[in-house]
Amino acid sequence: MELLPQAIVDGLLIGGIYITIAIGFSLAYGVMHIIDFAVGEWIMLGAFLGFYLHKGTGIDPFILLPVVFLVFFGVGYIFQPLIHRVLSGKRGNPVLMGLVFTFGLALMFRGIALTAFGFYTHSIPAKFFQGSLFFQFGNFFVTIPMIRLAGLIYALSITAILHYLLKNTDFGLAVRALAQHKESAGLMGVNAKKTGSYVYGIYVGISAMTGVIIGSIFSINAQMGADYTVFAFFVVVLAGMGYLAGVPWAAFLLGLVQSFFLIYLSPSYTLLAVFGILYVILLISPKGLFAKGV
Amino acid sequence: MHRKILIFGVIFVIALATIPLLVHDTFYLRVITEAIMWIGLAITWDVIAGYTGYLNFGHGAFFGIGAYTTAILMMRAHWPFGLALIAGGLASGLTAAFIGAPTLRLRGAYFAIATWALARALQQLALVLNFTGGPDGMRLPPFLNPEFFFYAMLTVVVITFAGLWILLEFAPFGLKLKAIREDEAGAMALGLNPTSLKIQSFVLSALPTGIIGGVYAYWITYIDPASVLGDLVTDQAVVMAVFGGLGTLVGPAIGAVLLFAFKTYFWAYLSDYQVLYLIILGAVIALSVVFLPDGLWGTILKYKSSKSPMPLRNDTGETK
Amino acid sequence: MNSKPTVLNIDSVTKDFGGLRAVDDVSFKIRQGEIVGLIGPNGAGKTTLFNIISGYYPPTKGKIVFKGNNISGLSPFKLAKLGIGRTFQIVKPFAGLTVLENVMVASLLRYPKKKEAEEHSWKILEFTGLADRAYMQAAGLTLAGRKRLEISKALALEPSLLLLDEVVAGLNPAEAAKTVELIFKLKEDEGITILIVEHIMRVIMSISDRIVVLNYGRKIAEGKPEAIAQDPIVIQAYLGEED
Repeated sequence: MELLPQAIVDGLLIGGIYITIAIGFSLAYGVMHIIDFAVGEWIMLGAFLGFYLHKGTGIDPFILLPVVFLVFFGVGYIFQPLIHRVLSGKRGNPVLMGLVFTFGLALMFRGIALTAFGFYTHSIPAKFFQGSLFFQFGNFFVTIPMIRLAGLIYALSITAILHYLLKNTDFGLAVRALAQHKESAGLMGVNAKKTGSYVYGIYVGISAMTGVIIGSIFSINAQMGADYTVFAFFVVVLAGMGYLAGVPWAAFLLGLVQSFFLIYLSPSYTLLAVFGILYVILLISPKGLFAKGV
Repeated sequence: MHRKILIFGVIFVIALATIPLLVHDTFYLRVITEAIMWIGLAITWDVIAGYTGYLNFGHGAFFGIGAYTTAILMMRAHWPFGLALIAGGLASGLTAAFIGAPTLRLRGAYFAIATWALARALQQLALVLNFTGGPDGMRLPPFLNPEFFFYAMLTVVVITFAGLWILLEFAPFGLKLKAIREDEAGAMALGLNPTSLKIQSFVLSALPTGIIGGVYAYWITYIDPASVLGDLVTDQAVVMAVFGGLGTLVGPAIGAVLLFAFKTYFWAYLSDYQVLYLIILGAVIALSVVFLPDGLWGTILKYKSSKSPMPLRNDTGETK
Repeated sequence: MNSKPTVLNIDSVTKDFGGLRAVDDVSFKIRQGEIVGLIGPNGAGKTTLFNIISGYYPPTKGKIVFKGNNISGLSPFKLAKLGIGRTFQIVKPFAGLTVLENVMVASLLRYPKKKEAEEHSWKILEFTGLADRAYMQAAGLTLAGRKRLEISKALALEPSLLLLDEVVAGLNPAEAAKTVELIFKLKEDEGITILIVEHIMRVIMSISDRIVVLNYGRKIAEGKPEAIAQDPIVIQAYLGEED
């Protein structure tokens, strides 16, 4: 019982990270109708870029975030036309081919990472955020490591920036138009290809930055991608596919599930629990917790 | 047409069955047995993916369920191999029905996600449970008879291939699945019940996969979560089917033989660079999708039909 | 004509999408052997009504009675079995299959054996004039060919009621004339009851025994083509669309 507040706080802190994993992914789905099986691999690759940049320059990983974002924005921007080509293929069922394509990408990235970085586990130490905050209320103790707090602040900032971009800019208008109706958005003068490229770039960039944050909170290795792919799926399905407003709630829920399993049961059951919840949600409310998915 | 294929198939199977009489080197017999196994895994994956249009990214889970069920029943309940094998197939089929019922009502993306998550969850489950042996895996009673396993694998895969051929190419079932793949809403207006057909297709894909897994477990005599529930089973089945040609049975079979031959060669000479193999798998999938969307066999078929004299006139929208 | 039994009874059907009322309390009947035209300006709810009748949407209120049975909310594949065939406004053939295979999928409903389904499909293709393109990939058909394939598939179900959604629009005059001829043949030779949505007034006026007019989801008129053409409310609705 004494651990309950800690479990909740931990859950919310981890959950913040999952928002940034899922929000870009959900955006890319909403606009391009692509389920990117490489989401976890983008996170992993971003983490390694952060790791080597930090190792080479000694600059704090949090300061390196914009660099990582720019690099991977560029990568995403370059990849998008290829995905667009697959998705607009004349052959029946292009969505299917899109799924197969990103599945292949994921395998390739994992292989490249294993070849280049080996099987070792690393972490990216952030000097700026060391130590912990400590609270006591009667019998209850809560420890908040500074680095996790920084992670949550990062996540909330990204969410806020994205929210602003979508609600208050022409780009955001184009994105929302595309997400709602592809054909009529084209009639309204929205360039689907170009907007898609930006969206995919932003999604890949955010995922890569989040990889760096994960590296400074937890650890990184070349095989980490698959688990984060499952987490991204979990959050997005729970939120309702393409329904951005549902993402934070689903992400916090995942964080809570994870921290409760860590503290009360065993972390080895986490994936099972994740699958169990996913299954039940698909069974009773396939459009997510809020029934707003597409 | 069908008679020609039947005669060709029978001759081909008889030729395969004589292999143990000619090949006495256990290494080569093992390689051929495994190649046959991969034919089975690639064609079963293609039933749900290529014919029906739903991607199962957890095919390995059904292989693993079959392997573990067979192992557990033989070791813990002392069932005979044949019975345990059938139970392994049924367990896989039931799991498919259980996973398929909620997810196959939805868009394909949900199904892809659910099967992928299932495979990861099952691997985790096998790691933490006691009766699966956890990370140590399970040892089966050694039965060192390569010929027996060659014939066991051949029998299972030939029956699977023939069964799928009859159902998908000869009977109308395959045509119905293809209609669903092409346009689900439209298929409904023509009297097809998509959810029911998709679940049937998924079970049809999973059941033989489980049986193949069971044969594999007894053959290799040692299974653990990484070997039978790892990603590699799914990854390779996907490459084989996509590269060979989705929506056909011959394509994935060719893909399986080619990829497995390559893998064997690669493993023999480049075993220091095993992770390179993953890159190659991924690259073959991605490049096939972009440059060879019909796969090897599909492209050959298209080329052949464009060469053959067309019994049709140009489509002008007008008829006589 | 009134002595003919009612095939389809649309009884105060309403359909809401969120806050939007797409079909508002619409009722009309179709008698056996009739061709009923369903017209109205864009967004009047014609296609929505089609989707309700053919089982793609359940009605929010009201019911659909087909040959005496309440069929509201039944799934499309069950309705196909009961004898309702439909075409889609946006023609989407099974692109990867041949024309023959496309029709065979539908024929399998009444002829579960593949061989019989194939024979039946050939008959349908002869009837609709697509037999010479039977082995062609459906993706390669022209618009006219696709529309005719849509009709072929619906016919292969051997329906007693056929719902045709814009099967003429978009065709050139020669093609259009052929399709109209085909529809008459369906009525006269096969005795199929038809509900047809069509934009081209000339076609709908010449083809229909009776016409139902929708506007903003409501039925604003029903009657013989000549009467409908003179109806001031109908003219007003169409004029309103112009500006």
